[in-house]
Amino acid sequence: MGRILLIWRLVLGDIRRRPVQAAMLVLMIVTTTTTLTLGLALHKVTDSPFARTRAATRGPDVVAQIAPQSGAVARPATQFASLLRSGQVTAISGPYPFSIASLTAPGIDILAQAEGRDLAPAKLDQPALTEGSWVRPGGAVLESGFAASLGLKPGDAIHLNGHRFTVAGVAVSAAQCFYPVTKPGVIWLTRTDAERLAPRAQALGYVLNLKLAHPEAVEDFAFGPIGNAFFNQPSNEVVTSLQTWLDIRHEDFQVISVDEKGLLISSSLLALVALATIAVVVGARMTEQTRRVGLLKAVGATPWLVAAVVLAEHLLLALLAAVAGVAAGKLLAPLLTDPGAGLLGSPPAPPLPATAILIVVAVAVAVAVTATLVPAVRAARVSTIRALADPAHPPRRRPWLIALSARLPVPLLFGLRLLARRPRRAALTAASLTIAVAMLVAALSLQHRIDVHDQTNAGYLVGSGSVADRVSHLVYLLSGILVVLAGVTAMFTTWATAIDAQRPTALARALGATPRQVGVGLTAAQLIPGLIAACLGIPVGLGLYQAAGGHLHEASPPLLWLLALIPGTLIVVAALTAIPARLGATRSPAEVLRSD
Amino acid sequence: MTEPILAGGEPILAARTLSKEYGTASALVRAVDDVSLTVNQGESVAIVGPSGCGKSTLLYLLGGLERPTAGTLALDSQPIHDMPESRLARLRRHAVGFVFQAFHLVDELTALENIELPALLAGASPSAARERARDLLEQVDLSDRAAHLPSALSGGQRQRVAIARALANRPRVVLADEPTGNLDSAATTDVLRLFDQLRTAGQTLVVVTHDSRVAATADRLISMRDGAFVDETRLTGGSARSLTEITGLEA
Repeated sequence: MGRILLIWRLVLGDIRRRPVQAAMLVLMIVTTTTTLTLGLALHKVTDSPFARTRAATRGPDVVAQIAPQSGAVARPATQFASLLRSGQVTAISGPYPFSIASLTAPGIDILAQAEGRDLAPAKLDQPALTEGSWVRPGGAVLESGFAASLGLKPGDAIHLNGHRFTVAGVAVSAAQCFYPVTKPGVIWLTRTDAERLAPRAQALGYVLNLKLAHPEAVEDFAFGPIGNAFFNQPSNEVVTSLQTWLDIRHEDFQVISVDEKGLLISSSLLALVALATIAVVVGARMTEQTRRVGLLKAVGATPWLVAAVVLAEHLLLALLAAVAGVAAGKLLAPLLTDPGAGLLGSPPAPPLPATAILIVVAVAVAVAVTATLVPAVRAARVSTIRALADPAHPPRRRPWLIALSARLPVPLLFGLRLLARRPRRAALTAASLTIAVAMLVAALSLQHRIDVHDQTNAGYLVGSGSVADRVSHLVYLLSGILVVLAGVTAMFTTWATAIDAQRPTALARALGATPRQVGVGLTAAQLIPGLIAACLGIPVGLGLYQAAGGHLHEASPPLLWLLALIPGTLIVVAALTAIPARLGATRSPAEVLRSD
Repeated sequence: MTEPILAGGEPILAARTLSKEYGTASALVRAVDDVSLTVNQGESVAIVGPSGCGKSTLLYLLGGLERPTAGTLALDSQPIHDMPESRLARLRRHAVGFVFQAFHLVDELTALENIELPALLAGASPSAARERARDLLEQVDLSDRAAHLPSALSGGQRQRVAIARALANRPRVVLADEPTGNLDSAATTDVLRLFDQLRTAGQTLVVVTHDSRVAATADRLISMRDGAFVDETRLTGGSARSLTEITGLEA
């Protein structure tokens, strides 16, 4: 009990003495665990909202559609007949006429699918109103995702093929995916209005909703003999399509699935960057604490106790951060799980199973333990006398680097030699920066593909509600987090280097190096791994994008964008490391040299 | 006593009413208290006193590594007490060479690389810096240790490398802080011999020590207590006597 109390006191004392370092550690782990929680929380999140929408709207099991080929006229009674003869259909609604119309309103010019409906509620697929009222002559109802994307609400005036309509209501349906997954967006009108919009009969298509006796066997229906008979119409007068309720659910789920995949990949990358940063921070803290370890041992602490103090401190911080990360993830999850306004109402906060919470906490603890274990064991094993003498770990000697640096200007000479002293630390910085640059490259690749896609689909996509925009925002957000974390790693590495190299730094000052030369040297020691990271991050990022399902052959980002990342990375690293470098460079050399 | 004793030659160091304080109010410590001192070219000055009397602080003040709280200080005829740090660093490259009690050699550099470091920092070409380092290594009789790391050298050898490094840029004055403090008798003799050679060659030297044998090799001996000079003696022996005779150490 006494030992546990002692460990507790020592841990608290150390956290109080270095609150900023402790806060930074917690921040790193919170960011990682929040992202991981979000990734796990999105798992199958659309199941519940889709099921509720389907129940509320009496969603069909199959949606059949015919659209006339140019010059032909759709004949629904004949062309849908093969489906109805099967004997598996227990209920239908429709056929409803539809046409593709041009929707205009102030600031809006887009194509829409205008579908004619009865004034009376349908037995199948009766869209559920979330706002306003059902269709009436001159009154249109917009699919909820479409309305949200266009910013339209009941009472607004719109024009369809030049005819004036008023938005009567906004509704959701389980007969198609929400906009923008389904394009063009759907507008319900009265049958008369819908038929009036078509410039001629040849422009009208029809939709038929079917209820099956065995909804679970819907794929046998759609892709078996019945479906084939429908697809293989005797003449080529119409284009046919069949969509099952499973397809619609899957499409809805795709939106969230992309988010989930992105978050899980990103949180893994974040965990790696966090690991690198924590390793640097813990390593630097241990450099500062060597003498404290010696003192503890001198007054009788066992190696086990010393290791326990180091581990306990970082475990405590990791656990606190994991709890905060899970809480933040749970709070933020609904923001990501609302897949547009297409599904009925606001989905409930996704339930986070206990296993997910355990995974998040385990990752936080694993990151902290992995980063702390080596310094803890080293602290436990160092001899008391050696620890009291507070020697620096013998730095590495790289003769070829020393010879090379002698030919360089003083700041680079200094930076290269500092780098060569602690190559592992430089490798950690380079690794975290490589991950951040790679993520940025992936984001730029995605953005470029969206731009290209937008140009070729200008008629259908609109506003910020598109899936592509939504994914790109998410990727940018995560890239931003990664860049910040990698920057923090570089900052901490500079700080750790400044602490570790304070004797050679002070000596260089005593021998005539100016504070500016020393400061630039400390920054240069980070710019070199930064340059390596920027060069490596570009191919890694392109590979990551390709591996995550991107298509570089369709639209690879412009070379100039990618090349701009190299100076960009160096500028960010230089800016972030300037303060710790300056602090390290301006410390009084007399103070350091005298203390030895 | 605060008045300087002037020796022949032009002044390299001139301190007037120099003070250095640490802390504030009740915790105020006056490490150097109203000290005036002139060190002329070619002169060898030893500052002695008990531990904590402020002699190391004074040495760091004289070399521009610390800023005085009050007073003026000129190094090589240039006032340095309020000189911008960058200018001071550039002046230090050629005007001052430091020798420390703890040697302060860079662990990962060989003896030769340590010695050439000040020349490289001063912008010398790598070949010129290397040539000068080899000459100095020969002067301190360590040519056969050129490729050795500090960890492979004895204490005396490390200090001789440190002295060679202090001379790399042919400084106007060498400031040594307890140069024999970490050495055994034999190594002390080696270092004293080196200092004696430097003094004979006209190198200006200021040595802080509490070792009377080191102090006995100087031209002038200043005693310090509680941050102030309390006694000053001009030693007539100096280079006229042999090192063994002065120090009582066997060569």
